[in-house]
This record gives sequence, structure tokens and C-alpha cells, in this order.
Amino acid sequence: MLTLQAEFTRVLELFQLPFMQRALMGGVLTGLMGGLLGSFVILRQLSFFSDALGHSALLGISLGFLLGFDPTWGLLPFAVLFALCVTYFLEHTHLWTDALLNVIYSSSLAIGVILLSFREGYRGGITNLLFGDILAVQGTDLVFSALLLMVCVTFIGLTLRSQILLTLNEPMAIARGVSASVQRTTFIVLLSLAVGISIKAIGVLLISAFVVIPACAARLLSRRFTHYIWISAGLGAFSAVVGMLVSALFDLPSGPSIVTVQLAFFLGAIFMTRVRAF
Amino acid sequence: MVVKSVAVGTLGNLSPQKTLVSVEGLTVRRDTHLAVQDVSFTLESGTDTAIVGPNGAGKSTLIQALLGILPRQAGNVFLLGQPLSPSGRLPIEVRQDIAYLPQNFLLDRRIPISASELVGLGWDRIRPHLPWTGRRTRDRAIQQALSQVEAWHLRDRPVSQLSGGETKRVLLAYCLVRPRRLLILDEAPTGLDARSESDFYRWLYTLKQEQGWTILQISHDLEMVRRSCDRVLCLNRTLLCQGIPDHALTPENLTLAYGSEFVRYRHSC
Repeated sequence: MLTLQAEFTRVLELFQLPFMQRALMGGVLTGLMGGLLGSFVILRQLSFFSDALGHSALLGISLGFLLGFDPTWGLLPFAVLFALCVTYFLEHTHLWTDALLNVIYSSSLAIGVILLSFREGYRGGITNLLFGDILAVQGTDLVFSALLLMVCVTFIGLTLRSQILLTLNEPMAIARGVSASVQRTTFIVLLSLAVGISIKAIGVLLISAFVVIPACAARLLSRRFTHYIWISAGLGAFSAVVGMLVSALFDLPSGPSIVTVQLAFFLGAIFMTRVRAF
Repeated sequence: MVVKSVAVGTLGNLSPQKTLVSVEGLTVRRDTHLAVQDVSFTLESGTDTAIVGPNGAGKSTLIQALLGILPRQAGNVFLLGQPLSPSGRLPIEVRQDIAYLPQNFLLDRRIPISASELVGLGWDRIRPHLPWTGRRTRDRAIQQALSQVEAWHLRDRPVSQLSGGETKRVLLAYCLVRPRRLLILDEAPTGLDARSESDFYRWLYTLKQEQGWTILQISHDLEMVRRSCDRVLCLNRTLLCQGIPDHALTPENLTLAYGSEFVRYRHSC
């Protein structure tokens, strides 16, 4: 009992440290953003797309190093440009989307690693790029995440019905006057910015989990679209809080802890739907 | 099942013979071939027109180009008196007066959406707005539309759990949740059993008779076309014939559209 209390006090003290508070805020913002955009990403079958964006970020960061840009801010325009190029490729070739995305993300990963090898001092940092370091989140990162979240909420909120119609059936949406290409491109740009901004905290390999897993769990728990979006964003944020606590309690890496908590919620959602079916 | 009548605001300013749709020399290319070539026709308000023709005749392409969903190579399209721009743009107000149901409207059953949410999408204006704007009016319109097709009890049901007939009813409610002037259907009753199909046509007939809707529908059911449509367009890439079904659907014209084997088969039945 005493040990448990001591542990609890230790975790409370830990969360009084500014870097832990920043990490918690960063996790919640990324969780909200991932859950919100993710709810549309999985229905539009863009899950692989967010994965490809994550992997391409490595290429963006290594290019930034070589050309002397700040890796975090150099990444954002690269991510947007990359996303628009991939969208163009997908729309203008007759290959399968998952195959084409695989070509793109494995090759951008390969080129990224080669480019990084030119920088002697950075080899050790590759682990940070792959898995991220949420504890290294700075105040400016939080400000940018919060601003981007506000833009995402405003965009989805004001065009919610067009987005739902577009997700359901594109010809029907166009017939109603929805400008499908403008809406699609705006969504892709926001998604690439969200991935780009979260890479530092979550890493190249795990970022797509933030987009995909809470949305999948929310899908299992919802019967209405509006509930689904709320649950997805809520689960994203809640997983981040629980994940950070777990990571502090058991001294585990933060990003992977959050993803594991997301998985636990997803498995819980499967269990609940099974129970409901009986 | 009876479609109850509702007040239609836009009906008052329509004269019975007003031209609602005008297509001049429409040509649409798909990949390497011309799917629709030099097609011209007009639709008068309050009429029910069917497009008939074999598979691959360009019927769906024609309708999609007409609505600006597919780009067109040549020709002019006027919908409710407004020109469709070369890039497929049309004033939002005109779009609000048109309802369209695409071919084989199969919903991805993994999308979580309830019947009332789907119907509500037909009510919403497409311009950016706060999601809760006009909530009461919207809810009333949804209730009225679902009640008209006797589907109010399905309001909270996820669309994934609806049967084929129920889905079509909800989709019809999506179309009539706002007063419209033009309804475009691409093989809408496909997949329905005989009873649901006859209900569906009865609703269409009521919409036309009581509320003055103009209907343009693609159909493979030539008997239904003869029975309930005012006009027919016979299409096989080019427009082969048009007119009153009894006059236009002659064995000669059907041979032109479908080939002689089809006509010989139908006459021997």
C-alpha cells in the first residue's frame, strides 16, 4: 500500500515538471487532431496515405539537414508538397492505391536513410525520428499544434455535411454542388500538416496509429456519424492522457505507451460490440 | 403506401410547359472512346422522361455529364435556365432544386450513419455553415420526409442495417426533404422486389402529379417506361430516337438501340 502511494506521489511530482506538462499537452493535442481527421481518413480508405506521409517525413527531415533548414519547420512545406504530389499520382495512374503508396513510402524511407548517412553526427538520432520523443516537445510546438487543431476543427465544423456526403458518395456530393477536388485537397493538406507537426513527438513509425486506431475503435462504438467523430477525437485525447500516466508509472517509452493504450481501447471496443450482439 | 402531399414553395412560379433541362450537342469522352456523341434534347417541367439503351450505351455518362460530375468534350447544358459551366459549376441555388441518385447506390456498410442523418444531408445547404444552424427546421423537414415514405420508424437505424427496399425509401426521403424541381435517377429501383418496385414508382408518380416534379430516369424496364413515362430517349452513344414511348419504342428503333436479336426475343415472349 505504501509503495503504491509512493508511486502515486512520484507520478504526481513528475507531472509538475514543465517538460512532462508539455508532453501531456502535446499528446492530448495530437490525440484530438489524429482522432478528428482519422475519423474521415479510415472511411475514405486513406489509412495507408497517413502512413506514407509519416515515412516521407524522414525524407523531408534528412533533406532539411542537408540543405541547412531547421528540420521541424522545413518538414511542413515538404509534407504538404509531398502529399499533393502523391494525390496527383493516385488520381492519374491506374495502379492500386495500396501498391502505389507502398512504392512511395518504402522508397522515401530508403532515400531518407541514405541522405542521413551523409551526416556523420546524426546516425544516433534516427531512433528519435522513428519513434519520436514526446518529452522533448517545446512551447512553440504546442502553439503550432493548437493553432492547427483550431484550423482543423473550424474546417471540419463548417463543412461537416459536405465532408460526410463526400465520404458517402462522391457523385452525389458533386451533384449537390460540393467542390470535391477543393475539399479533398484541403483535407489532404491539413492531414499532412498534422502528421508533419506531430512527427517530432510521435515519430515516423507510430504517427499513423494516432490517426487510425482511435477512429477504428470509435467506428465500432458508434451508430451515428456525429457521435463517431466525437468519440474518435475523445478517444485520441484520452489515450494520450492514460498512455502518459502508464509511461510515467512504469517508466516506459511515452509514444509507444500511448499507442498501446489506444490498442487496449480498440480491443475493448471489439469486446463491447460482441457483448452487445449477444 | 401513399406519399402525402407537402407545400412546395418553388412550384408556384412554374408554368406547365417551361423547359427545365436543355442539352445541345453534348459529347463526352471516356478514356479513349466517345461515350456520348452529339446528343441534344429538352425536358419540359412536370414530365417523366426515361433514357433507355443497352449496357455501355452511355446512359449514366450522359446523366453525369449533365450534372457536371463528368467533364464534357463539347456541347451546352442548361439546367433550370442556368448554363452549366465548362468545368461543371452551377449556382448552388439551382443545385438545391435538383436531386440525384446514382446507379447502384451501394453504401459502404462500414460508414456509421443513421437514416435520419442521411436524409438530413439532403436538406443542408452546401456553403460553409455551423452544423447546428436551422436545427429545428431541419429536424422537422427530416421527420416530414421520412414520414412521407413511411420510414419514420427507421430514423435511428444505422443505414448498414436497412434492407434494400428500406434503403431506397430513405434515399427517396433524402431527395424530398427539400422541395425540388428536378429528380434524376440512375436505375433507381434496381435490386428491389416486385412490391417495393411498384411502391417506388407509385411515389415517383405522386411526386410528379401532386408536386409537379420533373423526373429523368434511366431504366431497363421498357414495360414500365411504356406504362408510366411521358417521354423516352433512346440512346446508344448517339440519340437514336425520342418522343412518346408508344411512338418511339418501335421495333425498328429498338433494333437500332439494342440489336435485332433483342427485339426478336421480346416479340417472341
